[in-house]
Amino acid sequence: MKKVNILSLFFLICFIGSAQNSTEKKYALITTVNTYGLSALNLTDPYLSPMPYRGTGILYRHENRRFLSPDNTHISMINRLGLLGGIAQNPSKSASMIYLGTNFSWGMHYHFRPAKGIQLLVGGLWDMDFGFKTISRNVNNPVNMDLATNLNLSGIAMYNFSFLKRDLRLQLALQTPLVGYMFVPESGASYYEMFDLGNLTNTTHFSSLHNRRDFRQTLTLDVPFKHSTLRVGLSSETLKYTANDLVFKRNEFSFVFGYTYDLLIFSGRKNKAPHNFISTNE
Amino acid sequence: MRPETIQITQLMKKYITIVLLSAFMLPSCMNEPQIQPNTYEGNFNSLWNIIDSKYCYLDYKKINWDSIHSVYQDSIANINDDVEFFDLMGGMLGKLKDGHVNLYSNFDKSRYWKWYTDYPSNFNSTIIYSRRYLGDNYRIAGNLRYALIDRGNVGYIYYGSFADGFTDNNMSYVLSYFRNCKGIILDVRDNGGGSISYSEQLASYFFTKTTVTGYIRHKKGAGHSDFSEPVEIKTPAHKTLQWQRPVIVLTNRMSFSATNDFVNRMQLAPNARVVGDKTGGGGGLPLSSELPNGWMVRFSACPMFDSNMQHTEWGLEPDVWSSLNPADESKDIDTIIETAVLLLK
Repeated sequence: MKKVNILSLFFLICFIGSAQNSTEKKYALITTVNTYGLSALNLTDPYLSPMPYRGTGILYRHENRRFLSPDNTHISMINRLGLLGGIAQNPSKSASMIYLGTNFSWGMHYHFRPAKGIQLLVGGLWDMDFGFKTISRNVNNPVNMDLATNLNLSGIAMYNFSFLKRDLRLQLALQTPLVGYMFVPESGASYYEMFDLGNLTNTTHFSSLHNRRDFRQTLTLDVPFKHSTLRVGLSSETLKYTANDLVFKRNEFSFVFGYTYDLLIFSGRKNKAPHNFISTNE
Repeated sequence: MRPETIQITQLMKKYITIVLLSAFMLPSCMNEPQIQPNTYEGNFNSLWNIIDSKYCYLDYKKINWDSIHSVYQDSIANINDDVEFFDLMGGMLGKLKDGHVNLYSNFDKSRYWKWYTDYPSNFNSTIIYSRRYLGDNYRIAGNLRYALIDRGNVGYIYYGSFADGFTDNNMSYVLSYFRNCKGIILDVRDNGGGSISYSEQLASYFFTKTTVTGYIRHKKGAGHSDFSEPVEIKTPAHKTLQWQRPVIVLTNRMSFSATNDFVNRMQLAPNARVVGDKTGGGGGLPLSSELPNGWMVRFSACPMFDSNMQHTEWGLEPDVWSSLNPADESKDIDTIIETAVLLLK
């Protein structure tokens, strides 16, 4: 029977401390971050409207990061899932655009430690971006999609420091796509022609810096409290892409807050929890 | 703070500044179209540009859109309020002679209606709901209103809008109800259109094999003739429900848009004939855009063609012309339905 045990940071610290003393097996922790945010949105989709739409949204992001192996503390694996939903209005406030988007990314980073308390992570991410935009009053072009997949350059700078007797962590995460593919309809093509008749000619485009620029950055501060580590920060995305003589934009600026913790997962036949870890399955 | 920490902090500040600056500078390299200001002049230019670059029939209808710009731009200076401006812009769009072109504001919707108001209506709803036809006890499946007429020899269906759906289950009951009839009359007069999906679905019950019934293109560039390659529009035969006896489709000038598309498909159905007046047309699939002041404009963007690559914008002629006879009308007789009944005998 498959067993999955998720234990808190408190127990892990105790366990790792005892592991070091007794030269027992090392474990790679999974650093998990859950953040929520309030966003200012700026959307331009000329397939739906030539006008820029501005509004607000909410976001949720989940991130997991861990070393590939507990014996190699230079290469880590990361995956992220982001959800963003919002409503924006045209300048005259006569129409609304609803936006729902998700982004999933997976990749690896190499860890540099140039000075005490500082880590620089440089690596690559593969991501899939899917957004759904709709202006309900439109006829035959009420919906458009942000659909893209990219290979991204990714970097994270972490700085651990003490302030008022607390160990804080300042982190800046950056991500920008280098190459990929994206879906962009021709301005006059209806979704009836594309999806009912199956004419997807000229809708998928190779993308690179010449036609797609996206810059995601998140600046956060981790503040440990008695039993939790909270994260606050600012996040932004500046996306602009062009194809078929259309220029699309998605700008988002968010205040984010959340929490982070470390996990250890025991699962499967070969990865059983040590006897001093207590599971409800036992 | 230690000197080492200060130095690192300064380095990070510098790095963050460079990154933030480049984030905002990089995207500015792509050229965006200029957005017109929200003035009468700006909104006029915006509307004129939308039609100039996206409307699909400027060349086909031989419309000199540049000269229209000159004429209407001169009138902008005399505009006093939004209503006057709306009427002026509605008048400009009226030059396109297209029922699919509308300007929507909070206080009005401009429209071009001459595609049917300049012609006889050839439809009287009082008559089709009289005892001779639908009567009081007609059945409704989805939005299909149906009854047996001509002493049970003919099945009559009135379908008033392709915006209102129906299901295979609905149609199964309708065709079962007509199982002893010689044929069906499918009346789509005064049906101003709706969803092309329903048009395809309704036509599919009368086909025995998948048939190319038309083509569609779309504007792929700003030039008046920048069209994509034609794409086939196929009408499939329904997998389980096929009416293989005669069917007669009744049309008038208000059979428009998706109804025009339905009639175009039915012209190639094996046992179908079209009876009545020429349809109203509306062969351009409309899309929407908007002006800086928030008004929405709808316009034909994707021209649709029949199976011979002929435009369907100006309507489709019936196989058998028929019109309402006033003498019949006074006796609650629908001449067009009676013509169809005779053809089914």
